[in-house]
Amino acid sequence: MKTSMNTTAAPKKKLAVFGLASCFGCQLQITNMEPHLLEVLDQVELSYWQLTSSQPKPNDYDIAVIEGAVTTQEAQELVKEIRQTASVVIAIGACAVTGGIPGLAAPRFDERVEEVYSSTCPQACGSLQAPVPVSAVVPVDFEVRCCPIDPRDFVSVLERVLQGSNRSISTATLCGECKRNERGCFWGRGIMCLGLVTRSGCSARCPSLGRPCNGCAGLSKDANTASAKVIATEWGIDPARFEEALEMFNQQSMEDNCG
Amino acid sequence: MADVTIEVDHLARIEGHGDLHLCIENGEVTECNLTVVEPARLFESMVVGRYFEEVPYIASRICGICSSSHVVTDILAIEHIFNVEVTERTNTLRELLVYGSYLQNHATHLFVFGAPDFLGYESVFPLAQTNKELFDHALQLKALGNELCTTVGGRSVHPITAVVGGFTSEPSSEDFLALADKLEAMIPFTEESVDLFAGFEALPLQTEGDFLAMVEPGAYPVCTSQNALFVRSDQEFSCQEVQEVIEEFSQDHSAAFLACNRATKKPYMTAALARINASWSNLGKTARFASAKAGLRPPELNPMANNLAQAVELVDVLERCAELCRNLAEPSFGGSSLPVEFEIQAGYGVGFTEAPRGSLFHCLELDENGRVVKASIITPTAQNLMNLEADMRQLAELMLERGASEDEIRLEAEKLVRAYDPCLSCSVH
Repeated sequence: MKTSMNTTAAPKKKLAVFGLASCFGCQLQITNMEPHLLEVLDQVELSYWQLTSSQPKPNDYDIAVIEGAVTTQEAQELVKEIRQTASVVIAIGACAVTGGIPGLAAPRFDERVEEVYSSTCPQACGSLQAPVPVSAVVPVDFEVRCCPIDPRDFVSVLERVLQGSNRSISTATLCGECKRNERGCFWGRGIMCLGLVTRSGCSARCPSLGRPCNGCAGLSKDANTASAKVIATEWGIDPARFEEALEMFNQQSMEDNCG
Repeated sequence: MADVTIEVDHLARIEGHGDLHLCIENGEVTECNLTVVEPARLFESMVVGRYFEEVPYIASRICGICSSSHVVTDILAIEHIFNVEVTERTNTLRELLVYGSYLQNHATHLFVFGAPDFLGYESVFPLAQTNKELFDHALQLKALGNELCTTVGGRSVHPITAVVGGFTSEPSSEDFLALADKLEAMIPFTEESVDLFAGFEALPLQTEGDFLAMVEPGAYPVCTSQNALFVRSDQEFSCQEVQEVIEEFSQDHSAAFLACNRATKKPYMTAALARINASWSNLGKTARFASAKAGLRPPELNPMANNLAQAVELVDVLERCAELCRNLAEPSFGGSSLPVEFEIQAGYGVGFTEAPRGSLFHCLELDENGRVVKASIITPTAQNLMNLEADMRQLAELMLERGASEDEIRLEAEKLVRAYDPCLSCSVH
């Protein structure tokens, strides 16, 4: 005899997507799952996603997905409001997770505003402040790393949120993952590559395509940055240059990892 | 009609954050602003002092949807400074990368952002039920753009392989041929899309502004020419002079700069419609035919026709890319794409491409160590804002004459903004 499963099914969790200071690329990556997009979204009730729909911002939702760095007081308030409303907060992309590329502008921030807008910064810019990752403002429950995110990583995190998982996330550096691709090593050719200290998980896509790692996944907690600088020197790379390259995605999260 | 203020906070289905502000007092439009509230990330300051190799990689992050265009444009600026001559193969791969972003952008804009307005939906998702075939094809087309960018650039957003001098990796001949087949297979759908968008009713606006697009004799160029043309005033200039020809200025209501022609102070539109007006006769045969059939021929002054112009470009892009892929499948075509050698030197250079949304300029000054001294990025959307506001005023006046309600004016105003396909995260960089 058939029983109706649907009547006992729990209501779908409401999901809201928010964009802060970013290039929108990570939100776009979610839409880039074309063949699977509807199946993925079918697991939740999409209650807010400005990129795709004109429905207004709701007062309640369960899962908040945040893309982008916090660069204004207004954004800081919004993030706090989101944290109070949602039971789960997912930070997606380098900007939200480490401060990413916007974080590069953090040193001398006020001077930079003046460099770009002269002395009259338009009101529409809001109350600008030095960029920080979302986790610097409120606790974040889950993160999807890299610039841009891999949409499959987003799906896997969403599944983790919805179904739960006891699998721990690797914090190893990229080198190990890259070695398994057997494409050789940039360091051996005197080319700087940040895979040495960057968090693994991306399958080393860039090195596989002939491009050294730029560190978009952020520093690994296991990274020995001091030792990496010694290696850099041995291979003829100025350690200052190594540090400069690391700024690109870690300007606002270096201390957490290196402390 | 009584005094009306139309405010749309956070315009939906556009790229970035923007609000619409329209005031009507005693039947007159007294205020008409597109308030760009996108957070400033200060790219022009952020890249100062950085080594040239990193700069296209950073510039890519100006915008996810236009990332290929920003990378190629930035590379062109650097190569101009270093006097780098790249091979025909490299140029062709770059063209594919830029076209890939046309497919991604136009398909997303037309179907995900634009079409719901005309079909009466809040988003594209209900289309999955009401017209599954159209929905599936639209997503397929967007996916094909992603595949093209991924095949050539290594990733659908923020390409990996394009560097100063060439490419760090290339797909196989089989990949190129498979892609060519897929591109050709989508042509009939894009021809139908031209008919679909031609069938949507558009307000009869006539922009008073000029049109700006890249031009090249005998071509419908996207990244292969140094020359830009103001179409209506017939003013042609080299991209290296762009900062003398175009004036950027700031206004309180916009975090993005606005732009005008420095000499005439007049606004202008740069977009698919500008390219159609500049180079229509150089479209491929299939696209030209589809365009003529849909009634889109230069001069077309209605900014709402930009949707149709994008639909026509989709036909052209598929045909053109299929041909380029077949050329590239021949390993000997156009030399090697491996990065050529070059010497770092100081200087000033402008990179110029036609991004999906219009003319994009990256102006860079490097020192003798290859580090950025100064950067200025002039995006299509920043250039369009002043013209968009002028057209919006015309739209509101026309709607008032017709005795339209507040809701009707609001909807048409939103449609106009979307027809311009603004990329606000590009415009505030």
